[in-house]
Amino acid sequence: MLSIRGLRAGYGGRMIVDGVDLDVAAGEVVTVIGQNGAGKSTLLKGIANLLRNREGAVTLDGENVFALSAQDLLGRGLAFIPQGRSVFPGLTVAENLRMGGFLLRDPVLLRQRIEAQLEAFPALAKLLGQLAANLSGGQQRQLELARTMVMQPKVIMLDEPSIGLAPQVVEQVFATLRTLAAGGRAVLMVEQNVRRALQASDRGIVLELGRARLQDKAAALLGDERVARLYMGKR
Amino acid sequence: MAFLEQALNGLMMGSIYALFAVGMVLVFGVMRVLNFAHGVIFMAGGYMCHAVMTHVVAFYPLALLLSAAGGAVIGAVLERLVFRRLRESLPMQIVASLGLILMVQNGVLLLFGPEAVQISVPAMRTVVPLGPLGVTLQQVLIVVVVGVAMAGLHLFLTRSRLGTAMRAASQDLQAARVVGINPDRVFALTFALASGLAALGGALLGPLFLVFPAMGDLPLLKGLTAIVLGGMGSVGGAVLGGLAIGVLEAESTLLAPTDYRDLVVFAVLILVLLVRPYGLFGRRLRGEP
Ligand SMILES: Nc1ncnc2c1ncn2[C@@H]1O[C@H](COP(=O)(O)OP(=O)(O)OP(=O)(O)O)[C@@H](O)[C@H]1O
Ligand SMILES: [Mg+2]
Repeated sequence: MLSIRGLRAGYGGRMIVDGVDLDVAAGEVVTVIGQNGAGKSTLLKGIANLLRNREGAVTLDGENVFALSAQDLLGRGLAFIPQGRSVFPGLTVAENLRMGGFLLRDPVLLRQRIEAQLEAFPALAKLLGQLAANLSGGQQRQLELARTMVMQPKVIMLDEPSIGLAPQVVEQVFATLRTLAAGGRAVLMVEQNVRRALQASDRGIVLELGRARLQDKAAALLGDERVARLYMGKR
Repeated sequence: MAFLEQALNGLMMGSIYALFAVGMVLVFGVMRVLNFAHGVIFMAGGYMCHAVMTHVVAFYPLALLLSAAGGAVIGAVLERLVFRRLRESLPMQIVASLGLILMVQNGVLLLFGPEAVQISVPAMRTVVPLGPLGVTLQQVLIVVVVGVAMAGLHLFLTRSRLGTAMRAASQDLQAARVVGINPDRVFALTFALASGLAALGGALLGPLFLVFPAMGDLPLLKGLTAIVLGGMGSVGGAVLGGLAIGVLEAESTLLAPTDYRDLVVFAVLILVLLVRPYGLFGRRLRGEP
């Protein structure tokens, strides 16, 4: 579904991601792990065509991603939830969801899609009139996911979805991602919470200094002594 | 009685300030651009109204609409050619604004000459008896048109898809991109809307005062004061700030010579800022902790 070949990406002439090959198939959860500054976020931004400075090839169902604008990409089914909070704090939950379907010009379709998300995230249904700023961290993450899913993307990329969340909430978020994959979507996420993330993933990729040092089944990475020492030691 | 009369006068001028200030707040809120050339767009509105009335058709409501539309077009063009590139740099915005002010004012001098022109709408001088007070139709019209424009703006921002997208972009530009909002389109729309409102203001004030190259200076000064008073970034605050300043300066003429009214306004502004540094309705801006 998503295919990345020889991706190099960076800022102002300095390439941070330095030749990454990666495929993410429908129904799969793939996690990128790596030290701070390894280039994980840069990798996702590169894939999402948010960096001017990128080389290589990224295709979504065979279509060249670099030829598409952010709006077109979203329309074609590639969604990206960036690092940090990205709800609109001064908009209500309902307005945030409506903005998730900004590209849908059909109000009836939009309403149906939002209702479907409220079934998937019932906690949000009671908060529709609340400002997003007043939600808890876990609720905001749910809102981000629901807002993203309004477009029914084929591929969802998430940059550190578990950051700042309580352990039970983290489990919930990963369970949601599993459900999305089970529904035939592809999930590519970056995570610092390596053990939990790999447990919820099919495959993992270890990024070191912008290169993919290791790519394997999640279970294999979980059992890898070097990965455990370098990335799960302090947890 | 004099008190009530001045309150009405103040409300009228205050609505002009509010209309002006709202546009600057919108542009600043969405783009983080301070457009000091907002005043010359106001002035251009006055001239466009005059031009329509004298050369096209002497029908004031149509002239108002066309002036607002013309202002919107000017705004969209300015955004595209000038301000979109300057979003990161306040000093450059100021330099560009000053350049634009000079250009537009000189352009107007070239087209219309240095003499002030008058928009003559005899019907608007009709006195409307309002209890014991007499106000002209023009004054009533200003308050009504501004009221309708503000109500429309409120509905647009809170109910419509594009208006909500404008608020979304002002709160988190990266998140706006992520949901598929094209920032450049939002910027152009914001600038067009703000400039349309400013030009409408100039066309509304034209028949009361004269139309001259520096006619935008007064609303610029008072509009900026209204923004600071209301709280930078708050649309509602800018409206209330504008109305408050209009009423305040009108009432102050009852107590002190007319020349002192700006002093009264700024004294109140300073007092408010001492108590509330972010203004009456101010919040912190995007990016601030
Ligand atoms: N906007 C930017 N401009 C210039 N350099 C940047 C920018 N963003 C990141 N970098 C640099 O790119 C390198 C990789 O950053 P990146 O954010 O991709 O790392 P990361 O693996 O996501 O780290 P973290 O775990 O801290 O999120 C760092 O050296 C960083 O300084
Ligand atoms: Mg990162």
